[in-house]
Amino acid sequence: MLQTAKATFIRNMISMMRAYPWTFFISHILSGIYTVIFGFFTYRYVFQGALNEQFSKYAGTNDYLTYVFLGGAMYAFAVSTLMNVSRSLITEYREGTLEALLLTPSSRKGYFMGNVLQQISRTSLEFIIIILFGMLFGLNLANVDVISSFIIWLGAILAFFTQALVLGSIMLYFRDTYISQNTLFVTMAFVSGVTFPIQYLPEWLQPLSLIMPLTPALEAFRQSVIEGQGLAVSSGQLLHLAILSVIYLLIGSKGIKRTEKIIIEKNFG
Amino acid sequence: MLVAENITKVYKQKTRTGFFKSKYQETTAVSDLSFQMEPGKIIGLLGLNGAGKTTTIKMCTTLLEPTSGSITIDGLDAVKDDRKVKAIVNMIAGGERMLYWRLTGKENLNYFGHLYGIKQTELDNRIKELLNEVGLEEAANTPVEQYSKGMKQRLQIARGLINDPKYLFLDEPTLGLDAPIARHLRGYVKQLAQEKGKAILLTSHYLQEVEELCDEVYVLDKGRLIKHDTPKRLTASIFNESKLHIWLSEIKGNVKADLEQLLIANEARLEVIQTIEHGVELIIKTKKEITSPVLNLLSTHDTTVQKLFVDEPKLEDAILYLAERRAV
Amino acid sequence: MREWIHLFIAELKKEHRNNFHSSLIYFSLLIWPAIGFITAYYSFKPFQLDGSSPLSRFIDPDHLILFLLTGYLSYIFFWSQVQSAWRMGYERQSGTLEIIFLTPVNRLALVYGRSFSTLVEGVWLFFVFVMLTLFFVDGIAVSSFWSVPFALILLIGTAVIWGGFLNTVFLFSRDAGFLYTILDEPMSIFSGVRIPPLAFPIWGKIFSLVFPLTYTLNIMRKLVMEKAAFSEILPSLAALLVVLLVLVIATAIIIKKAEQHLKKTGNMVLF
Repeated sequence: MLQTAKATFIRNMISMMRAYPWTFFISHILSGIYTVIFGFFTYRYVFQGALNEQFSKYAGTNDYLTYVFLGGAMYAFAVSTLMNVSRSLITEYREGTLEALLLTPSSRKGYFMGNVLQQISRTSLEFIIIILFGMLFGLNLANVDVISSFIIWLGAILAFFTQALVLGSIMLYFRDTYISQNTLFVTMAFVSGVTFPIQYLPEWLQPLSLIMPLTPALEAFRQSVIEGQGLAVSSGQLLHLAILSVIYLLIGSKGIKRTEKIIIEKNFG
Repeated sequence: MLVAENITKVYKQKTRTGFFKSKYQETTAVSDLSFQMEPGKIIGLLGLNGAGKTTTIKMCTTLLEPTSGSITIDGLDAVKDDRKVKAIVNMIAGGERMLYWRLTGKENLNYFGHLYGIKQTELDNRIKELLNEVGLEEAANTPVEQYSKGMKQRLQIARGLINDPKYLFLDEPTLGLDAPIARHLRGYVKQLAQEKGKAILLTSHYLQEVEELCDEVYVLDKGRLIKHDTPKRLTASIFNESKLHIWLSEIKGNVKADLEQLLIANEARLEVIQTIEHGVELIIKTKKEITSPVLNLLSTHDTTVQKLFVDEPKLEDAILYLAERRAV
Repeated sequence: MREWIHLFIAELKKEHRNNFHSSLIYFSLLIWPAIGFITAYYSFKPFQLDGSSPLSRFIDPDHLILFLLTGYLSYIFFWSQVQSAWRMGYERQSGTLEIIFLTPVNRLALVYGRSFSTLVEGVWLFFVFVMLTLFFVDGIAVSSFWSVPFALILLIGTAVIWGGFLNTVFLFSRDAGFLYTILDEPMSIFSGVRIPPLAFPIWGKIFSLVFPLTYTLNIMRKLVMEKAAFSEILPSLAALLVVLLVLVIATAIIIKKAEQHLKKTGNMVLF
C-alpha cells in the first residue's frame, strides 16, 4: 500500500511540475491573497471595524479578521483536498488508465493515500501563504495552541478525504467533474461558517451545515488558534468530525466500488 | 487563373537550449515552387515524403503567408487582398475536425454559409443541393456527432463548396470513404471542373485517383518540385515499357523463332518464357503497341491463346520508383 | 453593418444549438451565482447594519440586498463571458477555428457575435431570478422610467465588449486558466460587486478604474437606487466610453497580430 502511495505521489508531482509549474502555484497563491484583501477591505474600509453584537457571541471572539482569514484558508484547503482526490479518479477513468489501475493488484487505499499526501504538500504551502498574508493584514496568532491546532488539522484532512470519496463516486457516476464539485464548494462556502457564523443562518438550513466536515473542522480550528483552547474544549467538534468521517468512508467506498463496476460493465459489456 | 511563383515557406521553431537561451530551428516545408491553376482543370500535387502539400494548400487559401514568392489569384494577391481571395477559394480537408459536432449537418452548413455572407434564401437552396450531391439529405437534421467517419468527410465536401468557390483545394478528399461513394465523388469532382469550370488542386494518396482525375501532376520532394507533367507522360518518362502476358497451351520451336524476329523488329523482347501447369507463359516487354501483330503471328501458327493480359505502367509505379531513388 | 447583424444571428443560432439544454448553464449561470449572492448577503451579518453603521457612508443599509443584487447581476453578465472565452479555446483545438479563418468574415464581428450570443444564451436565467427578487426587495428609486432599461442596455453593451476582449485574449493564449485568475477574481473584488469602491484606499480605487464593470455598476446603481438624472451620470458614462474604446482597439489589434502570427508560423497561440 505504501508503495502505491509513494508511486502516486511521485507521479502526480512530476506531471504537476511538468504541466504548469509556476502558473499553478501563482494562481493558488493569488486566490489566497484575494481572499485576505477582500476580508480586510470589508472590515477596515467599509465597516471600520463596526461589528454586530451577536458576532462575538456566535463566533466566540471579537477578532473578525483572524476569524475570516482562518475561514478562507481552511476553505481553500478543503476545496483543494476534495478536488484533487476526487478528480484523480475521474482523470484515471478519462485517460483510460482506470482499468489498468483496477486490474493491477495495487491497493486502492494506497493509491488514494498517495494522492492525499501529494497534494497536502501543495495545499499546505498555499495555506501557509494565506496565513502569512493574513498576518500582514491583521491575523493574530498570539494565542494559538499549536498542538491542538495541528491535531485538529490532521482530523480535518481525514474527514475531507472521506468526503472526497463520496464526491468522487458521484463524479464517476455522472461522468462530470465541474458541476458536482463546484456545487459542493459553493454550498460549503455558504453553510460551513467560512465568512460568518452559522448561527446567522435560518434554522431550517443549519442541518445542512452539520453534514459538511468543514463546519466542525473550522469551529474547532478557530477555537484552538484564536482562543488557544485545548482539545478538551473541541472534543464535541472532533467527535462530530469523526462520525462524519466514518459515515462518508462507508458511503464513499461502497459508492466507488459500485460505480467502478458499472463503468467497467458499460465499457466491456 | 491562379499563379504561384517561386513560393517558399520556412518555419522557424524556437527551442530552448538553456535557461534564458533559445535557438531558432528552421524547417523548409516548400522551396521555390511554381505552378498554375486554370479554370476547368484539375491539377494534382504529390509529395514523395509527405511534406509540403498541406502547406502549399494553406498558402493558396490565405491561411499561411509564403516566406517568399507570390500567389496571385485572378489578379488578387493572396497576402495583400486576402479577404477578397477568401471569398473565391475554399479548402476541403480535415475529416472529423473542423465541424461542430453538436450541430446538425444542415446547421453546420448554414453557419459557415453565413460566414461567407451568403443570403439566406440562396443559402437554403445551395445547402439543399449540396446535401443531395454528397448523399446526406436524410442525415441533414442529425447532429454531426452521430455521423460516421465517411459522412463527416462528405459534409466537409459540402462545406467546402458552400461559397461556390472558383478555386477549390482538396486535401485527401476520399480518405476513409467507401468505394462506391468515393467513386461518385470522383465523378463529382470531374464535373465541378469540366461542367462548372472550377480550378481544382488535389492531393491524394490514392494515385489511381490522381491518374484518373488530374490533367497535370506536380511532384514534390522535400518541398521542391521535381516533376511536372500529365500523368501519362510522367509515367512514360520513367517506365516506357509495358508488359504483355500471354498464356499458351504449347509453343513449338519455329513459332518461338518467328516470334523473336517479330519482337526484334518492333524493339520488343521476350523477357520470360516458362512452362507452367497446362501450358506455357510468355512475358514480352515492349515500348510499342504490338498485341495485334503477336496475336496474328500466333494464329497463323495455329497456336491457341489461353489468356492475354497487358500490364501498362501506372502513375503509382512511377512515383514509387521516384521515391525509392530519392530515399537512397 | 448588415454583415454584423447577419453574423450575430448566425452566431446566436449556432451557440444556441451548441449549448442547448446544457445543464452547465443552469448551474454556472443561475444556481451558483444565486448561492453566491446569498452567501455575500450573510457575510455582512457579522457587521453593524443599522442606520449608524459606517456602511451608511456609502450605501443605505436597508438597501443592502438591492446593492448586492445589482452587483451580482452585473457580475454574471461578465462571468458568462469567461465561459464563452473558455469555449473559444476549445474551438482552437477542435479545428473549427481554422475553418472560420478561412472565410472572409469580419473578425471583430465574429468575436462580438460570440460574446453577445453567450449573453443571450445564459444570462436570461439569472436575469429572471433577479427580476423576480426585485419584486420583494426595497430600494428601487429611479428618476425616470427609462433609467432601468438604459442601465440594462449599458450593462449588456459593456459585457459584450468585455467579452469580445476576453474571447480574443483566451483564443490566442496557451493557458486560459491562469489568465482567468488574473482577470476575473480581482474584478469581483475591486469593481464593487459586493463592497462599494468608494470605501477603498487610494490604490484600491485606482485599480478599480481598470475594469469597465466598475463604471457600469456605479452608473447602474446611481440610476436604479439613487434617482440619478442623466446629467449626473455623464462624467462616469464618459469615462466608461473611453475605457470601452480602449478595449475595442486592443481587441482589434490583438486579432490582427494573432492572425498575422498564424499566417507566419501556422500556430494560433500567440502568448
